[in-house]
Order: sequence, then C-alpha cells, then structure tokens
Amino acid sequence: MDIKLFYKKDGRVIQLIDKEKMNDWPVELPFLFVEYIREKKLETYEEGTVKREVENYLDEVLKEIAIPRLIKLLESEDDEEIILSLTRIEEIAKKNIDMAKPIQKYLKDLESKKNIKIVELATKISAIFIKAERKKELANKRKIMQEKEKEFLAGKISAEEYAKIRKEYLLLKE
Amino acid sequence: MPNQENKKMHNLKAARTLFENYLNKGQKSHSFKQTEETVKIDDLNRKEALNRIYLLVDNLIEQIYQTGRPAIQLPSRASSNIIWDEENDLLLLGKQIMEKQFHTLTSVADITRLMRVLEVVAELLSEDLHATKREVFYTDVNLFGDQKNSDKSIEDIATMLYTSRNSTHVVAAPRGSCVGRLRIRDRTDIIDLEAQGSGGWTISPFLDQIEILESDAEFILVIEKNAAMMRLAEDRFWRKYPCILITAQGVGNVATRMFLKRLNKELNLPTFTLVDSDPYGHYIHSVYLRGSKRLSYESPFLATPNIKLLGVLTRDLDKYKIPKVARIRMNKQDEKRTKDLLNEDFVKKNKEWEKDLALALKLKEKAEIQAFATHGFKFLTDEYLPEKLTTGDWI
Repeated sequence: MDIKLFYKKDGRVIQLIDKEKMNDWPVELPFLFVEYIREKKLETYEEGTVKREVENYLDEVLKEIAIPRLIKLLESEDDEEIILSLTRIEEIAKKNIDMAKPIQKYLKDLESKKNIKIVELATKISAIFIKAERKKELANKRKIMQEKEKEFLAGKISAEEYAKIRKEYLLLKE
Repeated sequence: MPNQENKKMHNLKAARTLFENYLNKGQKSHSFKQTEETVKIDDLNRKEALNRIYLLVDNLIEQIYQTGRPAIQLPSRASSNIIWDEENDLLLLGKQIMEKQFHTLTSVADITRLMRVLEVVAELLSEDLHATKREVFYTDVNLFGDQKNSDKSIEDIATMLYTSRNSTHVVAAPRGSCVGRLRIRDRTDIIDLEAQGSGGWTISPFLDQIEILESDAEFILVIEKNAAMMRLAEDRFWRKYPCILITAQGVGNVATRMFLKRLNKELNLPTFTLVDSDPYGHYIHSVYLRGSKRLSYESPFLATPNIKLLGVLTRDLDKYKIPKVARIRMNKQDEKRTKDLLNEDFVKKNKEWEKDLALALKLKEKAEIQAFATHGFKFLTDEYLPEKLTTGDWI
C-alpha cells in the first residue's frame, strides 16, 4: 500500500502517504511531513473524528519511523550523515522554526558530541530556537505593554506600575 | 452574466460514485497483464539500468571475440509491430525483432550514434544526473547532425534495454503544469499544489524524485488548453469541486502522462479529459488513454486506461446550445483525421465514442472549449463541468 485512507462522515476521503515509504526518506523529512500536516492541513479536515485519526497516524509516524530513525542516526558513528542531516535541519529552522520543532529535544545530546562540525551545527540550530523563543516573548510583552499603556493613560494603573512593565520590556528588547 | 441558478452547487454524484468504485476495487482495477504477443518493458532504478547496459556491452564484446561481426537486436518500432492489446486496452510493442549491424556501410552512422547515446546514458546513470533530449543532442552535434537523429537513438536505447525512457535518465523539457488539492515531495521540499499561483506547479521530468504525500481530491481533470486551465485556475475550481487540474498544452508529454498515471493509480482517482470538440482533441484523449504509437514500448507506464472523455463532445454542441457562430466548419484534414480515428480498433470497440465521431463527420462541425464563453465566462466552471460530472455524461 502506497497510500493510507481516512474517511469522513460526509463521504469525503483524505489520502496520506503510507508511513512505510518514509523509511527511504532523508532522516529529517518524516518530522517535516508530520509538522506540515499538523500545521497546514489538519484544520482543513474540519471533522473531529477524522482529525483525531490523522493525529493518531502522525503520532505513529513519529514513534515508529521518524524518532527511531533519527535516534539510530544520532547514535551511529556516521558523522558525515549526521552533518548532512543537521545542515538541512538548520536550513529548515531558518525558514520556518515550527517545522523543525520536533527535533529540538535531541539538540542537547548533539552539542556534547566530539565532532566539532556537529557541535557547531547543533549550537547554531539551538540559537535559532532561542532567538525565535525570545521573539515570541517580546511580542507577548509588547502586547501587554500596549494594554498597560492604555490603562496608564486612562488612569487605571499607577506610573510606577507602568514604569516597571516598560523597563521589563526594554530589557528584553536589548 | 451568470444568473442565480448558475451559482448553485452540483453534487458530482456520478464522479463520486466512480471514485467509490475505484476505492473499493483498489489497485486491482489498474493491474497490467503482460500478454504473450507483446514485449515486456521494465521500469528500472539506476542500478538496474546500469546493469542492463553492462550486460549488453559484455554481449557485444563476446560477439567481437567470437565472430568479429557484432550486431544489436532490439524490438522493432515499425507500425506493423505496434499492437492494440484489447485485454489491457493499450497500444503495445509486438515481438518483431530487428537487427542493427556494426559492419555494414548503411548502418555505420546509425550504430555510431546509438553507441554514443549509450555512452551518454551510462554516464548519466553513473553520476545520477538527468539530461534533456536537447542536451543529449548537444553532446555531439557533428555526429547527430539533427536532433531527430539523437532522439531516435534515445528511443532505440530504451527499447534495446527493454526499459522506459525515464529509466535512462533522459527526460523531455518540462511542459505540463498541475494545480489543485495535492501535496507532493520533490526531494526534500514539500510542495502544496494549491499554493502555486495561477500558473500551477510545472510537472518535473525528474519523476523519480517526486512522491505523492497528501490529497483530498475526488477527481482529476486533464485539460487540453492552457487558456481553459487558466480559466479554471482563476476560478479556483478545485476549492468548490475538490480536484486536481493538469494541462500539457496539447498532446501530453512523457512527464505529464507519467505523472497523471501515478496520480490515477496511487490515489485511485477518476480521471477525465477536457479537449476541443475536434479530431485533434479526440486524438489527445486517445494518447492519454492508450498511449502513442511512437512510444508504444512504454505505454504501460504512460497510459491511463480508465480515463474518460468528459468533453467537449460533438453532442454537447447542441445540448449546451453552442451558437452556430461559435462553431467552426471542419476542413478536409479534419475529416480525414476523423475517418482515421473511426478506423482505429479501440474506437470501433467503444460504441459511444464511435457514435460521437460519426456525428462530427455528419455535422462537419468542430468547436473549441472556449466556445462556452458565449454563455458567459463562468459557464464552463459553474455549469458545464459540474453538470457533466454530476450526470455522468462522459465517454
């Protein structure tokens, strides 16, 4: 079987590639596939039951294919293949950090490897995650600060309280 | 101006029922059974194709040592050896064998070109590269003289290795495009065919690097003309009616036909053609349906035997009230082409098709897909196509 079928109650059908075919893919690609379907497609399936079935299937892909293959690669001595894979993951992370998210928890181990190039790449990818996290935090703080600014102008909060939030925001921004 | 009625949704009942049938039957409906009268052609991976080249060359060396007069035997691609296989409903290559000798003056140029292309193919496969037919011609312009000669040698090489041309890593320049409810993988990139602009995704000739990832389409529509494709793309037809649209701007090239076959087979989707109501349109449909005579050796990899001719049928001209001013008088060549089609065994076997072509010959009229614009620009997408897919009015 090349394709896995998911039936909706209204008779519509969603067809997804069979997980067995992913055994021949570059090691990072099953993660990308899972993230892609979760981020871009799942919502469009509308119906709750089929969404859950697809979610379960994506979990199977992660548990049975993506993670075991990645662990196998990381535990191997094949530094060349690890470097190749990390180079591609770095490119993906730069383009869309969410797509690289499932790989984040394996970066710590990689940073303690002996190969300098591997450590360098893992550190770079970690830095992209930290930067993205900071950006997210900053956006949140900015939102809160704008709210507080309105409250301050309306006389609902004190100058001290506003100054405290403003300081926190500026520190984070720096 | 479309009226209120034109905005209604059609349920595409007939197309949906066909899809359900295909899903229930699964891959069985597409299985190809090799018959004794035709040669077996294999789709090979890089390693397998290289092995066949090594075996061929070993055999030639052996002949040189033993007789000093080597020759290559390969299935003949003459029209007398092209068979319509009724069981598979495909044009296939028969078992007539021809011989190309190295030592005769008449064949020396041909055999030299053949060996040069074999060398190029071996190089492409060894280095895992692909080249277009034009690039192969430019590898030795003096030897080939004209691209027709290198093209012929490329087809000879595929035939003598008993494989498809794609397996030799010689590809045609990209021409077809695809858009709609489909997600694919091209090496390490995930491509969403709903987000490719109105021009769609250019069908890559490197199909060995393409994989189908996800789709919620219910049918495929193959469109003869880019202008009609643009009309459907502009209307985002696939959003209203879940489908995949493909065009090759005329007769489908190898990459387009191969990609279509994969979509049809892997996703079990009903597939329809939308062509001009003229003999050339019917011919285009026939090439998608059972392959072309020139590439009959690889029909099993290129043809889509369950493709349906949705339109524009000759009977549609009156049914959908195409005004006389939008119809074109058939010329002598059109009449001859229609008669030629009527003489084909595969048309004779399909009574409805035969009837529609006979009607065209009787009326001596043809019309383009765009003729529906006489009823408004949205008539094609809001009325004609959905109605036919709902009622099952196809051949």
